[in-house]
Amino acid sequence: MLKNELFFLTMLTIIILGLLLVLLIYLTIRKALEIKKRKAIEQYIENNHTKLFTMLMEGGYSRGLSPKSVLEQKAIEELLSRYSKILEGEEERSRLTELASMYLLERYRKQLNSKRWSKRMNTLYYIEDFKLTRLNDEIYMLTKKKKISHAELIHSLRILALFQHEFLFDLLITRYQNFSEFEYRTVLVHLEQKHFEKFILHFHKSSQPLQKAILEVISIKKEVNYLPFLENIFSVYKGEIRLRALKALSNVGNVKNTDPYLELLYSSKWEERMIAAKLIGSLKEVRGISRLIELLHDQMWWVRSQAGEAICQFPNGHQILQEVLETSKDVFAKDMAWEWLHKGV
Amino acid sequence: MAILEWGNVVTIFAWFIAVYMVIVISFYSVILMISFFQLRKEYQLDRVQAYEDYADEFYTKPVSIIVPAYNEEAGIIQSVRSLLSVDYPTYEVIVVNDGSTDQTLAKVIEHYDMKEIKKVVRRQVDTKPIGRIYQSAILSNLFLIDKENGGKADALNVGLNFSHYPYFCSLDGDSVLEQDAFLKVMKPIIDSNEEVIASGGSVRIANGCQIKNGHIQKIGLSNKPLVVMQIIEYLRAFLMGRIGLSRHNLLLIISGAFGVFSKQWVIAAGGYKTDTVGEDMELVVRIHRLLREKKIKKKIVYVPDPVCWTEVPEDVTFLRRQRRRWHRGLLESLWTHRKITFNPKYGSIGLISFPYFWIVEFFGPVIECLGYLFMILCLLLGGIYIEFAILLFLLSCIYGSIFSMTSVLLEEWSLTRYPKVSDIMKLFLYSLTETIWYRPLTVFWRCEGIWQMIIGDRSWGEMKRKGVSE
Repeated sequence: MLKNELFFLTMLTIIILGLLLVLLIYLTIRKALEIKKRKAIEQYIENNHTKLFTMLMEGGYSRGLSPKSVLEQKAIEELLSRYSKILEGEEERSRLTELASMYLLERYRKQLNSKRWSKRMNTLYYIEDFKLTRLNDEIYMLTKKKKISHAELIHSLRILALFQHEFLFDLLITRYQNFSEFEYRTVLVHLEQKHFEKFILHFHKSSQPLQKAILEVISIKKEVNYLPFLENIFSVYKGEIRLRALKALSNVGNVKNTDPYLELLYSSKWEERMIAAKLIGSLKEVRGISRLIELLHDQMWWVRSQAGEAICQFPNGHQILQEVLETSKDVFAKDMAWEWLHKGV
Repeated sequence: MAILEWGNVVTIFAWFIAVYMVIVISFYSVILMISFFQLRKEYQLDRVQAYEDYADEFYTKPVSIIVPAYNEEAGIIQSVRSLLSVDYPTYEVIVVNDGSTDQTLAKVIEHYDMKEIKKVVRRQVDTKPIGRIYQSAILSNLFLIDKENGGKADALNVGLNFSHYPYFCSLDGDSVLEQDAFLKVMKPIIDSNEEVIASGGSVRIANGCQIKNGHIQKIGLSNKPLVVMQIIEYLRAFLMGRIGLSRHNLLLIISGAFGVFSKQWVIAAGGYKTDTVGEDMELVVRIHRLLREKKIKKKIVYVPDPVCWTEVPEDVTFLRRQRRRWHRGLLESLWTHRKITFNPKYGSIGLISFPYFWIVEFFGPVIECLGYLFMILCLLLGGIYIEFAILLFLLSCIYGSIFSMTSVLLEEWSLTRYPKVSDIMKLFLYSLTETIWYRPLTVFWRCEGIWQMIIGDRSWGEMKRKGVSE
């Protein structure tokens, strides 16, 4: 009664087993070949790394080194990639770019159009590492493609930023307006001042994530040049952007006039009180101390903690905290003073 | 007449089991396909390069690593040492001594020159009282908290309260992390602009690998059949199951051995639950529940890359205990949140994940166990029943061995972590035998777990570690 079912199942099992076996054979052969290839690459690296290194350090070309096969190119790629992470000097770096262009440019041009996503991604990584500016146009074309994965797109834009590509600004402003703050940030951080300024000029018309990214980049790079800009944003904007501008100011640690920020210590929003406390701390503005001590009693833990840290930054900070600890009746303020006094390293 | 009815019962029962297995096999096949495409996409992607950017402070979020330690004097220094050398820009290590009765506390204090510090700990989740807090005089990002004994979950909650950073990771005492583990699991969180609030990676088995100073020196394969079978089982669970589930935000488990969570959400969900053996799964379920109830679009994902190597039991006694415990943990989580099952309010979690965990993960072993008994019975009865037995056996071959073999091949096809050709051969051949011995054994143990629950046995079943590190 189960004849049919049994027959079907047995056949199915056998077929699957057969398929798996074929796959196994394929994979073992592939693995054996991979291991062999790997050895060949290692061998090539072993034989040629001194030659390449001399070329990098002293310039000039060696005829002995002409990678022809894919394996040899792969070996060169690995070697250069290793060096790209340790080389510091301007000259050496440009030689590395030179060498990479000479040996690998054509290979990368082809690979950028590979069918496999991972291969295209790897190529982008190397182009970035080796700063292959000669592929500028190819990368730019990529960003205009309709069918491109998000990861590739972001990475291409990053590379364009790194190469200070002139059209990057237009691309980000007109074509790609829906990135997240983080994505904008990874792109913008590579821009030199001249190109970054375009974004500053366009700030008011930018989307919120882009605005946040711009402020974040200034904050991380601690760019003193943009202080007037930050102060302007702080006074003109509201909400999240205003906070970010304030945060950037506290990171840069310098303002023209401290008064508005002293006032901000009395803000009704706890986030503003917190960042203002941070800013006053990094400015070491003595007029703020009395309010900072009051903020040790704030109802928000974050504000209390930040106030404690800010007080610590003053030369007589520990003395002030000690006084609070001895005289205050507020348990929370005492706790916080105690913590910052006894904070470890 | 009576004989006919008996025959009917047997037939119906056989069909029930057969249909069940066909359904489960189809379900797994779908998941397998999803994993297949995902893994293929990333084949030969240069992972070092892909994660390189995330090693820069500018891009990453700081992470607190919480290490609950209860009587771990043998391995604690090793674990901490391996943690202190991970490749990540900003992190802190918080060792929580859960009232150990051995020298755990003293050892850490002495080895890392821990000095007592005063610190106000925000009590965001309720815990047992904590005692002293120490910070290392050599490494400012290493902390040690001494507390009353309260179990692993309670220790984790203490770490949670103490931690300074927005993300945290809990780590089992004797696991070894890959150098770039944090880069790997934090990538989806950062890439998604924090839409991903928890992320876990594959856990692999350390037995048989060469480990020195908390680092994997050489990946190898153990000689013990029981360990090899567990390797296959892990491969199968992680490569096949979790990638597929993660793709559609259906993931209910982030392995306790390694996962990173957004602290804010864990605290919003109420921290770890202290009275369950499966606190990791329970937490993930609770976060899902919170998200669905508040209608927030956040995700929990899983990265296929191996991030953590852990020691598994090498002999039957401990393996048996572990499986019984796991199964009980599973039931506890499912039971606590039983409201979610088939509840359309919880979307795909209620309609797919929960039913899957109930039917396949929880009741699966019971039905399989009945299937094995039935097979034996059929063989004894003979006649037409032999056919039933063959039918069931074939189905369980597909269910057990073939899926496992596929997973082994999938690993070799995509991630290729095992260095030698012979390793793959060995894994493949072992997985062929799964249906005959290993599968029935684990099925039986898990049923035992259910039985223990029914009779109310609450014993813990701790695992004895012999230490994997040299």
